[in-house]
Formats: sequence, structure tokens, C-alpha cells
Amino acid sequence: MSPQIALHDPIFRAYFFIVLISLAAGGAVLSFLRVALKKETASMFRTYWSWLVIAGVGLLVVFAGRIPTIVGVTLLGIYAFKEFARASGLYRDWWLTGAVYAGIVTVGIASVMSHPRGEEPGTGWYGFFAAAPVFAIALILLIPILRNRARGELQRMSLAIVGFIYIGWMFGHLGFLANAVNAYGFLCYIIFATALSDVSAFTFGKIFGRHPLRSEISPNKTWEGALGALAISMILPWLLRFSFPFFGARQLILTGLIVGIGGQLGDLSISVIKRDIGTKDMAATIPGHGGILDRIDSLIYAAPLFMHMAGYYYPLR
Amino acid sequence: MRKWRYDSPNDVERTPLERLRQFPREPDMLVYGLRSLGALIIRALLRVYHRFEIIGHENLRTNRSFVIVANHCSHLDTLCLLAALPLRKLHRAFPAAASDYFFQSVSRLWIAAVVVNALPFARQVRVRQSLSLCQDMLGNPGTILIIFPEGTRSTTGEIREFKSGIGALVAGRDVAVVPCFIDGSFRAWPKGRRLPRPGKVRLIVGSPRTFRDRGADKIDICAISAELREAVNELRHENGSH
Repeated sequence: MSPQIALHDPIFRAYFFIVLISLAAGGAVLSFLRVALKKETASMFRTYWSWLVIAGVGLLVVFAGRIPTIVGVTLLGIYAFKEFARASGLYRDWWLTGAVYAGIVTVGIASVMSHPRGEEPGTGWYGFFAAAPVFAIALILLIPILRNRARGELQRMSLAIVGFIYIGWMFGHLGFLANAVNAYGFLCYIIFATALSDVSAFTFGKIFGRHPLRSEISPNKTWEGALGALAISMILPWLLRFSFPFFGARQLILTGLIVGIGGQLGDLSISVIKRDIGTKDMAATIPGHGGILDRIDSLIYAAPLFMHMAGYYYPLR
Repeated sequence: MRKWRYDSPNDVERTPLERLRQFPREPDMLVYGLRSLGALIIRALLRVYHRFEIIGHENLRTNRSFVIVANHCSHLDTLCLLAALPLRKLHRAFPAAASDYFFQSVSRLWIAAVVVNALPFARQVRVRQSLSLCQDMLGNPGTILIIFPEGTRSTTGEIREFKSGIGALVAGRDVAVVPCFIDGSFRAWPKGRRLPRPGKVRLIVGSPRTFRDRGADKIDICAISAELREAVNELRHENGSH
């Protein structure tokens, strides 16, 4: 991955136009709702403007190359963990938050560097990347011992471990995907597909939503929205088959399931955390979306599953 | 199993801009890290670019809350005073900054909140509220307030009259006040100049004093302000300003 390659890569160029067209179509639909049907669309437009910024930044980072992508994913992970740490109160413990930040940076470094003895193909040190949780959890468990403290430490250690594994390491898989031979296809597809799945869940829920999906967790999500998003996600791999021309029917179905179900499970799992903490959003960083963590929640769940599915059938690098 | 208690800050659902504006802030490690890093860079620049020197450093060595008052003619003044404090006290040091100047544009707001850790002081309206905010902060042990009682940067380099607010803040209270004189900052970076030019800057720290046994009536308050101005002026003459 590099700007020169991206410029001539048919997959990246195709996604550039797909994103452009999708945003234009979304804008057109919203304008139609507002002008022709006189609907109240102010909050949807706020979300839409933020989507424009997210799409622009995302395309730019992937265009810039492998290392910018990994650095970008690492920074997003750090910021998302910061939001989680603030919302859960863990941020008051500098030692544990510091350990998690160090862990997230380590995951980024393992994705950037190559195997020191050249025993792995291509870039990225997968062995260390996959073993990162061992070291991070070892460090997190060490901290109360070093500080000679026990009171309330189980809660803080648990929060730190969930924060690292879920937000740091699992989301870090997105960065590691930049090492794949088919990096443009994998990255662009998984990011675009989870975003589209989120939007279709919202849209289907808004139009057809009757039956609450998980009333105790997220009162606004409906079965209709979830099934609509699943349907779109199942069709999309076939429509965008050029992203992974070597995928057979089984891989395409799995891709659809991972994005369609996994993405919504990611959304719901963050909702569980928010519900227990008692906050509506993790932060208010992105107007109309909530926090960074609220935006990337489906990607956190879907990206690692997708990477391991693809890696199981075909060599990633 | 006992229920977990999440000790979240009160600003979780505020936008980043609102979080920068609020006071007291609820910073996390990243902000502390950025501030400490910024302080190190500022200290290095002051040393190299302004050959920064501190006289009377020992007068700042206390773990109690205290107020620093100083003359004001440059943005460098705040940076110099912050550079005189140990790094670990940096996050408990609050320079009072004009909220009409520092808390409006985003870039100034970011610098004021993250790098300088400024306390928004409404100098035109609600002065009384700002003063009581200062008093609340001093109630927390180990707080350092940095106040420029002239109320604005001097355009001539001369020390202007001290406003009475500083007197009201310390009269009858057991809070140490440390007068300081900053020499050379006017030449290095006067008001209206975009960037500083190299030039020696010195910080002279006077001995602390309290106004515990003074009344809080108007005459006393004005007298305290005048005394403090005199103390700063003395530091200037004792140390041969040029």
C-alpha cells in the first residue's frame, strides 16, 4: 500500500467512486425527505455531515498507505479506549490506563514491523500481534502487585482487560489487515460494509421497526432493522465481489454473516456497556454519532472475525 | 455480588469543545501527558531562546496552596511562572486567564485548557463569581493560582495599578501570596507582536506573605493591592532592572 499503488489500484479507485456515489445518494434521499416531504431531518443531516468527514478522512488514510493506516487505527483505538476509560471511571487509575495505552501502541508496532528473523512472509509480525494479549494482561495483573493494592482492583483490572482486548486488540486487527496482499479489497470492503450495515439497520428500523430487538439493552433497535441490515449485508459481498475475486460462495456467505450479524452484535455489546454504566453515548466527539467508540463499535466486532475467516481459507500475506 | 460503581466524570456526554470550556476540568492521562510534554518543550525553549533565569526559587517551595502575583506585559509571563514550578505541581497550577480572550477561539481555548491549564476569569462581568471560583480552588490543598492583578498586559512595560480583586481574594485568609517580577518579557514579546524575539528573561521571586489579620473592607482590600504592587516594584529595583 502506498499513494502510487492506490492511484493505480482498480479496487481502491472503485471504492473511491462507490463511497462518493453512496454519500451523494444518501444526501439526495435526505434532501428529498426535507424538501419534498417536509420531514424533520435536522438530526439526520448532522449525522450525514459527520459521515462526509469520516469518509474523507478514512479514504485519505487508506490512500496514504500501510503505515498511515496502522497509525490511524492505533490512534482511533487509543481515543476509543480513552472514551471507554472516562465513561467507566477507569481513567482515574493512571497506572492501568497507562498499561492499556502501552498495549495498544504495542499492537500497532507489531502490525507495522516485520518478523525480526524474517520467518513470516511480508510485513507485520503476526506471531507477536496474536500474542499481544498475553503480555498486556500480564502487565495489567502486575500493576496491583507492584502498587501493593487490592481494594477495588478486580473491577479496575477487569475494565482494563476488556478495554485492551476489545478496543485495543480486536480493533487493532483492522490495522493488521493493511499487511494483507489484498489490503485494499479487505480494508475498503469491511469498512464500507459495516458502515452500510449500520445505516441500513437505522433505515429499516425507522421505516418498518415494530418489535424491539433487545429491550433491556438498546430500546431503539428493532428486529426489522436488524433483519434489513442482515439482508443488505448478505447481498453486498456478491455486488462487490471484485474486492476479493478469489472468494468462493462459502466465503462470500461467511462475509455477509460476519458483517450482518457481527456488526450488530458489536453495536449491542457496546450498548450493554453503556447501559450498565448509565450513559447514552460513550462521548460526544462526532456530532450526530456520539463518541468514536459508538462509531467503530460494529467494526470492532466484525473486522477481526473477517480477518480470521479470510486468513483461514487463503494466506493473508 | 456487590454492584460495581462506575466513577465517571460528569462530562461524558459533552462535546470536546464544551469539555475544553468547562472548569474545573476532568483531565485524563492523555491531557496530563500532553501538558507535561508541552511544559518540557516550553522550558527548553525558554532556556535556549530567552536564556531564562530564576532568582529566589526557594520562595516557591511549599506544599500548601498559594497565590503568585506578578507584573504582566507579555504572554511569556505565564509560561515563565509555570516553568518555575516543579513538573508534578503543574497540573495543580492555574493561571487566571481572561475568559473573553482565551476562551473564545478554538486554538486559544485548546492552548489555555490543555497546555496552560488556565482558569477562566471573567474580568468584565461576573468578577465576583470568578473570585469565588478562585477561592474554591484555593480550598483544595496544593493549589497554585497565578494572577496578574493589572488585569491585562501592560503596553509600556511599566507596572500598572493592581485591581482590588487580588486584595479581596487574600484579605483575612491564611493563604500565602508570592510576589514575582518578570524582567525582559516586554522586550522579548510585547503585546501586538506575533512571535517572540530572542532576549534575556529573568524571573525574580519574592518572599511569601499572608494577609491573614487584615479585614475584608474596601480600604484594606485596596491597601493590600497597593502593597502587593509595591512588593513587585521593589523586586524590580532590588535586582537592577535594565
